[in-house]
Amino acid sequence: MAEPDERSRAVIAGLEKIDPQYVLHLPSSTLVHIINHLAARPNTLTFPIPREEEGVGILAGLELAGARAVAVIQDNGIGNLLTALTTFPIAYHIPQFYVVSRRGGLGEYNSMIHAICEKVEPILDAAGVRYFTLDGRVPIADWESTITRAYEYSRVTRRPVMVLCNLMGG
Amino acid sequence: MAGLTRTEALRLIDASFPREPVIVNVGAAIREMVAAVGVKSNHLHVLDSMGLPPAIGLGLSLGLAESRFEKVVTIEGDGGLLMGLSALSTIGMLRPEKLVLIVLDNGAYGSTGGQPTAAETTDFSAIGRACGIEARDVESGAGLREALEEARSLHVPVLIRARIGPESARTPYFLEDPAVLADAFRRFLRGEAPVA
Repeated sequence: MAEPDERSRAVIAGLEKIDPQYVLHLPSSTLVHIINHLAARPNTLTFPIPREEEGVGILAGLELAGARAVAVIQDNGIGNLLTALTTFPIAYHIPQFYVVSRRGGLGEYNSMIHAICEKVEPILDAAGVRYFTLDGRVPIADWESTITRAYEYSRVTRRPVMVLCNLMGG
Repeated sequence: MAGLTRTEALRLIDASFPREPVIVNVGAAIREMVAAVGVKSNHLHVLDSMGLPPAIGLGLSLGLAESRFEKVVTIEGDGGLLMGLSALSTIGMLRPEKLVLIVLDNGAYGSTGGQPTAAETTDFSAIGRACGIEARDVESGAGLREALEEARSLHVPVLIRARIGPESARTPYFLEDPAVLADAFRRFLRGEAPVA
């Protein structure tokens, strides 16, 4: 298996600082190095979720219990979680943290996935979901701190926060 | 016709777990729970996230695994469970031993006019067992009381499918601010005094 590139390593470094007790993930070829790293992490329960909205519920329960938890998902599933996200953690002021890999755009090899992925930012804007963006315009030296600061921002503002990470080179 | 009403079932659940975290599912169940036993700090009222309570209960029971609480109770309807059915698979995979999932099955979407669900041809307990969850079927108050007491002694996730009647009690809307509800529930979990 190929070594993780520097973008994945930077995301991993940020997640290590967060030191999550629980990691929920959905399948994603772009996230494979990050998920594999977290799955091998001692004292962290890393497990798959079958749908994004189920992850919203599990994360909310973990947060209410005082646990440190993150979800690692891909942006083509954002449409699945909007109702759950807006009616529960946003409405109930429950912090949550999502690392979201970007698809579509430069470097994309799939002929269809852009149909949802290119619309993710306006969808999140319309739903009032706060996110930060990491892509080729952000110096790699800032990626780790963006991950950790976005996590803290979700705690401070008591709401879900996402970091949209382009791991494909765009 | 089932001999158990929703309100009777909710009273029994509250009586069996008066100081444990209880997640109450949307709509009629919340209104009837509030009408029956009041607004309690150990109850998390999930106002409008149909299908989410089993996942919330799963996360809560994982996070509270080492806590003082014996059990984490989650109430769901048949329509709600069908909406979030995949959570049974995740519960079976992770096996949170404190989780008690109670499915109040009236075969209908009780909060929206009683439209039928697919519950009549769906064996929730069999699905739960197939996922690795201990499951019981009950159709009476005595049966529910017994299943709840048994669940307390089991150290595995438990699903109790309680067949209830189709009727809903006439109750007022419950319109509390969700952020207030979450704060009260957090305070309960932490053992803090409620806000006056």
